[in-house]
Amino acid sequence: MATDPSALGAPDPDGLDAIRLTWNSLPRSKLEASKCVIPLAACISPLRSNSNVVSLPYPPLRCKQPCLAVLNPFSQVDFNAKIWICPICYSRNHFPPHYQSISEDRIPGELYSACTTVEYSPYESNPAAMPAPPPPVFLFVIDTCVIEEELEFVKSAMRQAIGLIPDNALVGLITFGTQVHLHELGFADLTKIFVFRGTKEITKEQILDQLGLSGRHMGPVGPRGPHPQVNGFNHPSGAVNRFLLPASECEYTLNTLLDDLQTDQWPVEAGNRSIRCTGVALSVAAGLLGACMPGTGARIIALLGGPCTEGPGMIVSKDLSEPVRSHKDLAKDAAPHFQKAVKFYDALAKQLVSQGHVLDLFASALDQVGIAEMKVVVERTGGLVVLSESFGHAVFKDSFKRIFDVGENALGLSFNGTLEVNCSKDLKIQGVIGPCTSLEKKGVLCAESVVGQGNTTAWKLCGLDRSTSLTVFFDVSPSERSSQPGHVNPHAYVQFVTSYQNPEGQMKIRVTTICRNWVDSSVTEELVQGFDQETAAVVLARYISLKMEMEEEFDATRWIDRSLIRLCSRFGDYRKDDPASFNLHSNFSLFPQFMFNLRRSQFVQVFNNSPDETAFFRMILNRETVTNSVAMIQPSLIAYSFSAPPTPVLLDVAAIAADRILLLDAYFSVVIFHGLTVAQWRNMGYHNQPEHQAFAQLLQAPQEEAQIIIKGRFPVPRLVVCDQHGSQARFLLAKLNPSATYTTAHEVAPGSDIIFTDDVSFQVFSEHLQRLAVQS
Amino acid sequence: VDVKTLPRPLQGDEEPTRVLESYPLNCHPRYFRLTTHALPNSQSLHARWHLPLGAVVHPLAESPNGEEVPVINFGNAGVIRCRRCRTYINPYVTFADSGRKWRCNLCQLLNDVPAEYFSALDASGRRYDADQRPELNKGTVDFLAPAEYMVRPPMPPCYFFLIDVSLASVQCGLLEVVAKTIKSCLDQLPGSPRTQIGFITFDSTLHFHNLKSSLTQPQMMVVPDLDDVFLPLPDDLLVNLSDSRNVVDSFLDSLPTMFQENPNVESATGPALKAAYMVMSQIGGKLLLFQSNLPSIGIGRLRLRGDDVRAYGTDKEHILRVPEDPFYKQMAAEFTKNQISVDIFAFSNKYCDIASLGTLSKYTGGQVYFYPSFHASTHGEKLQYELARNLTRETAWEAVMRIRCGKGVRFSTYHGHFMLRSTDLLALPAVDCDKAFSMQLNLEDTLMTTQTVYFQVALLYTSSSGERRIRVHTAAAPVVPDLGEMYRQADTGAIISLLSRMAVETTLSSKLEDARQMLQLKLVKSFKEYRNLYAVQHRLSGRLIFPDSLKYLPLYILSLCKSWALRGGYADVSLDERCAAGYTMMVLPIASTLRLLYPALYRMDEVLTKPSEKENIDELLMQVPLTVQCLDSRGLYLLNNGLSFILWLGRMISPDLINVILGGNLANFPDLSKVQLNENGSEVSKKLTKVLKTLRQKNPSCHQLVHIIRQGEQPREGFLLLSNLAEDQSAGAAS
Ligand SMILES: [Zn+2]
Ligand SMILES: [Zn+2]
Repeated sequence: MATDPSALGAPDPDGLDAIRLTWNSLPRSKLEASKCVIPLAACISPLRSNSNVVSLPYPPLRCKQPCLAVLNPFSQVDFNAKIWICPICYSRNHFPPHYQSISEDRIPGELYSACTTVEYSPYESNPAAMPAPPPPVFLFVIDTCVIEEELEFVKSAMRQAIGLIPDNALVGLITFGTQVHLHELGFADLTKIFVFRGTKEITKEQILDQLGLSGRHMGPVGPRGPHPQVNGFNHPSGAVNRFLLPASECEYTLNTLLDDLQTDQWPVEAGNRSIRCTGVALSVAAGLLGACMPGTGARIIALLGGPCTEGPGMIVSKDLSEPVRSHKDLAKDAAPHFQKAVKFYDALAKQLVSQGHVLDLFASALDQVGIAEMKVVVERTGGLVVLSESFGHAVFKDSFKRIFDVGENALGLSFNGTLEVNCSKDLKIQGVIGPCTSLEKKGVLCAESVVGQGNTTAWKLCGLDRSTSLTVFFDVSPSERSSQPGHVNPHAYVQFVTSYQNPEGQMKIRVTTICRNWVDSSVTEELVQGFDQETAAVVLARYISLKMEMEEEFDATRWIDRSLIRLCSRFGDYRKDDPASFNLHSNFSLFPQFMFNLRRSQFVQVFNNSPDETAFFRMILNRETVTNSVAMIQPSLIAYSFSAPPTPVLLDVAAIAADRILLLDAYFSVVIFHGLTVAQWRNMGYHNQPEHQAFAQLLQAPQEEAQIIIKGRFPVPRLVVCDQHGSQARFLLAKLNPSATYTTAHEVAPGSDIIFTDDVSFQVFSEHLQRLAVQS
Repeated sequence: VDVKTLPRPLQGDEEPTRVLESYPLNCHPRYFRLTTHALPNSQSLHARWHLPLGAVVHPLAESPNGEEVPVINFGNAGVIRCRRCRTYINPYVTFADSGRKWRCNLCQLLNDVPAEYFSALDASGRRYDADQRPELNKGTVDFLAPAEYMVRPPMPPCYFFLIDVSLASVQCGLLEVVAKTIKSCLDQLPGSPRTQIGFITFDSTLHFHNLKSSLTQPQMMVVPDLDDVFLPLPDDLLVNLSDSRNVVDSFLDSLPTMFQENPNVESATGPALKAAYMVMSQIGGKLLLFQSNLPSIGIGRLRLRGDDVRAYGTDKEHILRVPEDPFYKQMAAEFTKNQISVDIFAFSNKYCDIASLGTLSKYTGGQVYFYPSFHASTHGEKLQYELARNLTRETAWEAVMRIRCGKGVRFSTYHGHFMLRSTDLLALPAVDCDKAFSMQLNLEDTLMTTQTVYFQVALLYTSSSGERRIRVHTAAAPVVPDLGEMYRQADTGAIISLLSRMAVETTLSSKLEDARQMLQLKLVKSFKEYRNLYAVQHRLSGRLIFPDSLKYLPLYILSLCKSWALRGGYADVSLDERCAAGYTMMVLPIASTLRLLYPALYRMDEVLTKPSEKENIDELLMQVPLTVQCLDSRGLYLLNNGLSFILWLGRMISPDLINVILGGNLANFPDLSKVQLNENGSEVSKKLTKVLKTLRQKNPSCHQLVHIIRQGEQPREGFLLLSNLAEDQSAGAAS
């Protein structure tokens, strides 16, 4: 699946709740859970699929302390006594007076059995109590250590963005190179820029003080008088309006600034990189936003053209003879700036999270810019990240434009999210992988073992959007009492409560409650039925990515192999020591192939990429839906030919044929691959001749499909159009199963292709797996 | 001594031009004056001369039309100087060996005449071309210096403005005057089209201004980090004025409004100075600091030292008059090293530590301007004139000055605004026609063997047009064995100039009282010596007698003791005004010093009302003695001390006269301190304007504002007028 399924009207595999669990039937005991190999986890997309979610114009009704679960369809209701019983903690709650009119015929929306997901608009029934929605804030941070041509691309992207930003949104501008320039857009007379040295770490307090936002140095009665309100947005130090102005008011100023904006004026010595103080620039941006009210939806949108070479956050020295760190350097602990930079960005992340603000990174450079170090800020704040080679590349241009789009294609950028998870007490929450930060709300529901952001039942999502996904990890931890027969409750409940501020600034609370069955350990059949192999593959990919980052000695390939063998031993159908007898239930049948491709993917084979690319891939993996993430692990391949309608084909080198066009969707890239004959005909211009209409259509079809894929995706994937044996063909070949390599070349059918690799083919992999799985 | 019996210097300074009668080859005394044009031939004689022995040099004094300084280019011959003592060729050298050799008049060395410079001699041994060569017949010449006189190409004139834009500057209207004045001067800044210009404004932050010529409007770049000042741009902070003229115009147009709403009350002067230094250090030039607060933040921050009455009369009194923070002196040294001269324009109505700020000017050849309680509506005109004068007057750049003298004498101490680079080399990053220097002489040996001592002042500088030049003044003076001759040749003006500077310097290390006593002691000792010399002869024992040349000396010394820099104690002059007066006196040329000490007082009512045949204003004005007894309460008086005018209205003055002068009834002006004198249609008003104009033209170095006071209007009358009446007891209060 390539595009947002809800948009196409196709059935949504994620359902109304947009929640997918690795196991939909829950093993009752801890031991049994561990035998399941694949951790119990839920992939949730809190803001997904808007259209069918019931909207309720009042605040949610909550269970008593400390549970605070929200009233839901699984609650038992006594309409006469006006009492409801919370399915999670079994407390009895009286309905408040304004629910007195409910009856079996008059059920409030949140109790409808179909409404497992509802959205509350707490102020809709009482608009007077609603605080004025604060305008969104966009603070642009632009790297000027780039060549003229790149800066021109940036300018044109910015001009376009300025035209798209809503009038009421507050806009700020920072440019940087050797030093940081903060533009005072509210200064009427002429261009006024605050300049910060790039070499020195600077605290938020120093920044506010130096910008005159702390009120120091001012006379007893400033001639300025009371600070004006902007869009009802007032603040103790309202002087922040000097730097952040409504788009409608500063459009002209911004355009003039862009006209005059030059590349960094400081000389670069021969043999040196530009002096670029990205760290201080981001500090200044964060400090400035610190003067905004906490809770104001604000994002720092950074456009980076190269690595930070100066001051805090520096990732490489100015000396060009020192290359930017590679995975090898990191593994050998030979990246002298890495730990220091990560520490700096970690502190920046904490600051932004405490302010509730987001960092988005648009990196466009041939070399790395330090995404690996900055990952922590982007991920903790729920920011967006886009990686491309140039600001002129479609990947940047189209992605950048998307964040300001409104309407159908809008990303639905929301702010100030909080996720709370409630669950039946036999489940414990281990933590979350994804774009969020722990709010450190500890409680009885926290598991002892932690995965990702753990030790909490609440998380901050400074930035979230329609596609934002999170993985919540659970531990099965039955108490003595619940394992006694007679007290057994057959159901487990989990409730996800996400409050957030939507793009219009309105406060919303999305509540999803799910119910799953406990199964006894003996009943393997039920576990098998409840297994979601796609979700399992994605959760595993996220889990091992995290482990690879956290644990130095972690061997991902071995870990995958061992897990897969254990899983197949546990759930496969076979006679001991008879590989030929091995068989898997259809719910598991794709899983080995997922694992085969995961082993070969960018998430595991990191040495084929730079640390920046790896960080980028992992951030996207962690924040995308299951469907999209599956494409990252195991790309889809569609064949176009005269003989048949577009057909999904195996991701195998055997799919290549001279008279075929292949469309590969590897999520980050979309490849259109013309077979040799097709390419020759096209080069001869047959598609322009009226008698070869069909050929023209054949050429056109994959292009159209590719455009549909690209349109629905953020960041915009890279589109590669190539021909068989062309140099760009490697983008396809790298993803294909090497069933035919130079070692097997004699078996290859004419017109097809071979892959120059020593990797094992899927067939060899499967054979090994079967052999090992059945071993006693 | 009854002051009123003393002769009064009603004519002001009289240049001792009679020296030229006996020494026609000497430079004009407007450039060089000795305290006595007869040097003692022995140390014992010198010891009996109790007045200072020394000189006052005014190297770039303005010359009247027709007496322009000739510029000489030696071409291939190179500048001709003595091989041994480096004296420049001058009218006092002699030629020998048929013109092939010349003898240095300072050290007697026989030098070769370069072939290119050869001329045959006439029968008397004089070169045939002597009359055609100014260096052989004039005491003052400019030599064009060849490349070996340069350590780098001659710098372009460079004006850098450092402007305090905190609340106080905005409120007093300073920015508008400064911006408008600078803009109006842009066409007259010397050195076009090479002239460079730049600006930094500051409050608690520093604002650099990008004036890149390609910009449509200037860019303000705020650097708020004061701890570690840095430049926000590698270039374009100091730009060529012609190239960036549009951007500079646009900057100056918006300067007054740019900070209109600035509530900032801090003044980061120290960091701003560092920033200016960083911008200017490559070129050098003039730095003009406009300061309206006590420097309050960052390095060089000054505190309210408080003018403590208890300190007066103690050993600690002088500490208030010297800079507290070594930053200012260190900064001045850095500035001088990089050819930067600092002028201070201070405006505070509160204490702003002129003592510390002025240090910057003192050691960089600069000047201190102080406008206490400045407000544009009353003081704008003065600031406008004086700033314009500063910007447009001819200025010499990256200069050094040395005074050579013949065997037997040597200059020991120098007084003025400069940095002493070695024992006798004065570094002057910038110097102009409004600056004079003085120095004291010592005899090297017990007995002088020569009859004549020669002096040669050499100022090596870069002209605004970009030429490296040497201005040379040469003078000769006789050596005498006779104290009487020394008295006869004494020059009161030079003596007072030297004494005033010595006294001001004394106040920096001692009590005010000590400085005044030093002056009085010198006067008394010298007159005692004179009486001893002549009492017998004149049989006039017991009476004060003095030589004609020094007849005004007692009154000038009395006035000097009553001057703002030296008078009284704690309450008599505010600390800042006292320090500012001290800095002013350290650079003033002789005539201005004398005018300041003994102002001219004119009765004006008759001059204005009675028709007269005389067209010449000078002939109309009659100076009257500086005593309250001369003030007729029916009269209108004008006092001119060179720095300001005071118009005194007698209590019984005719209301009609007031009406025509002020343009209204006196009752309409409750606060005379705010009254601006504007010309109205009446004849009287026109005539008064003409008088003021004429007087101002005589002293173009500053602008004299008219202060109007009424008889009996206290405390203004006491402060402005009575304290100027040097002959009265009340003047200078506790003196
Ligand atoms: Zn509950
Ligand atoms: Zn000599």
